[in-house]
Amino acid sequence: MANSENFAAKLLSAFALIVAGMLIAATLAPAAGRTSQRNLDLSLERVTDQGLFRIQLKSGLDPIQISKIHQWSLHVTGPDGAPVTDAKIAVDGGMPEHGHGLPTAPKVAPTDGPGNYVINGVKFSMTGWWILKLEVNAIDGRADTITFNLVL
Amino acid sequence: MSWQLPVMLAVVLAASSSDAALWSESELKVLRSLWIGSLASAPANPSNRYADDPVAAALGRSLFSDKRLSANKKVSCATCHKPSHGFTDNLSTGTGVGIGTRRTMPIAPAVYSPWQFWDGRADSLWGQALGPIENSLEHGFTRIQVARVLATRYRSSYERVFGPLPDLSNSNRFPMRASPVADGRAQRAWAAMSPADRHVINQVYANFGKSIEAFERTLKVRPTRFDRYVAGILGAPVRHTLLSNSEAAGLRLFIGKARCVTCHNGPMFSNAEFANTGVPARLGSQPDTGRIDGARKAEADPFNCKGAYSDAGDRQCDELQFMVLDQPSQLGAFKVPSLRHVGQRAPYMHAGQFASLSKVVKHYDRAPKAPRGISELKPLHLTALERRDLLAFLMTLNDQSATTTNTQKGGSLDR
Repeated sequence: MANSENFAAKLLSAFALIVAGMLIAATLAPAAGRTSQRNLDLSLERVTDQGLFRIQLKSGLDPIQISKIHQWSLHVTGPDGAPVTDAKIAVDGGMPEHGHGLPTAPKVAPTDGPGNYVINGVKFSMTGWWILKLEVNAIDGRADTITFNLVL
Repeated sequence: MSWQLPVMLAVVLAASSSDAALWSESELKVLRSLWIGSLASAPANPSNRYADDPVAAALGRSLFSDKRLSANKKVSCATCHKPSHGFTDNLSTGTGVGIGTRRTMPIAPAVYSPWQFWDGRADSLWGQALGPIENSLEHGFTRIQVARVLATRYRSSYERVFGPLPDLSNSNRFPMRASPVADGRAQRAWAAMSPADRHVINQVYANFGKSIEAFERTLKVRPTRFDRYVAGILGAPVRHTLLSNSEAAGLRLFIGKARCVTCHNGPMFSNAEFANTGVPARLGSQPDTGRIDGARKAEADPFNCKGAYSDAGDRQCDELQFMVLDQPSQLGAFKVPSLRHVGQRAPYMHAGQFASLSKVVKHYDRAPKAPRGISELKPLHLTALERRDLLAFLMTLNDQSATTTNTQKGGSLDR
């Protein structure tokens, strides 16, 4: 009998511990999933730094998978919405918080439709804050840059 | 007494469901991504059309442990990649006919990596297998000698997979030792051969590598206690286990404060990339340049995905096509190794610089300045208890049984 009471008491304290554990976990949980929370502009349709182009960016892989090479599509227009064709576009980027660049060297090529381009060879090797920097050089000499933010 | 069993069962159930409740939705997503159940089958390798050919794998299996493929007849691939030791050894640097400069890497996780060697200077397992053979510190052998061993010992199984072997009987055309990368004498012999004959030998040598890769692709990574724990949380219909408080706390650190999971991600616990983590140079040597030279070597390798001996089409070499070159962050960067079975393969880092996992964790906690290039690490400010918890968790990644293969063992080989 005394043993049973003892067991019941142990049971109670075990449940109390579990509940306490759940409460602690609930308070700790947000810290573990954190990335850079610094009011990043995560929009993928934006005007370039000097306002010369409007750029729409879209991943060909949704959701984006870590360590998988994939394509992005790119649509470039002037501020008036007129497509910008035959531009030379360079891609750079990386993880500002880790001091490293992209794990691949993506290349941009024009594709079907006015103002349409494809970025080949994009890969992200970890979760976190990534930037994609584009440098657009139009054939009429206009040149501008833009930095997109991604949080994976 | 009769009520005790159901109550005890209820306690067990409560404990396992509360385990799932210990993790937030985003943490559960990370745990699932690390779980072996998320591992896809080995990625296709278009550069090796024999990659999944069982006869090639059986041939590769025999070649892997054949000591005739070395200068002193005492070294095989299995000398350093010991099957009984998770296909690695317990030495700081691999030791073949001489003492090498880099730590032997395990093989099963490498099947999932686009780059091989610590500096990624090969872009396939078959390309990798060709390096140590002609390294004067490893096998000390030459490619033409490999062709001769295949011709005398493995002719019928080789020819079943790859077609007729060339006639090597004319020793004026085919010298006994010849290689473009081995010692000076072998290089001179190679230079004296006709381009057509060199091509013939290169083809046989590439096929040798391709059969080794076919074997290596049969090696499996086995579930660990960590996997069984995640399986339990996810309710997967496989064996479950619980982690101790310390192990679970270590797992929380791994995916949280200690930031291990940023690079050690996915079911192999590696993003297969390269990072400078400020690891000290190998004792008595200059700091290694790492990936920055490895990438250039991969680009120049005649046995790469775009080379004459690759079976890949023009558009099937994405990793090589979009490879980063000459970036300062690649200086002193080394491959992020898989952490599966990590507790069983001391010493650690690219030249075995750390004797214990505890020293590795201390290094990542302190984040010292890199001897060459710039370290990506930042100090973690872990307490001694947190370091212990992290170590306890890493031990849950240990293999609890020997690595095995799914290759059929009854195959007859003419060796």
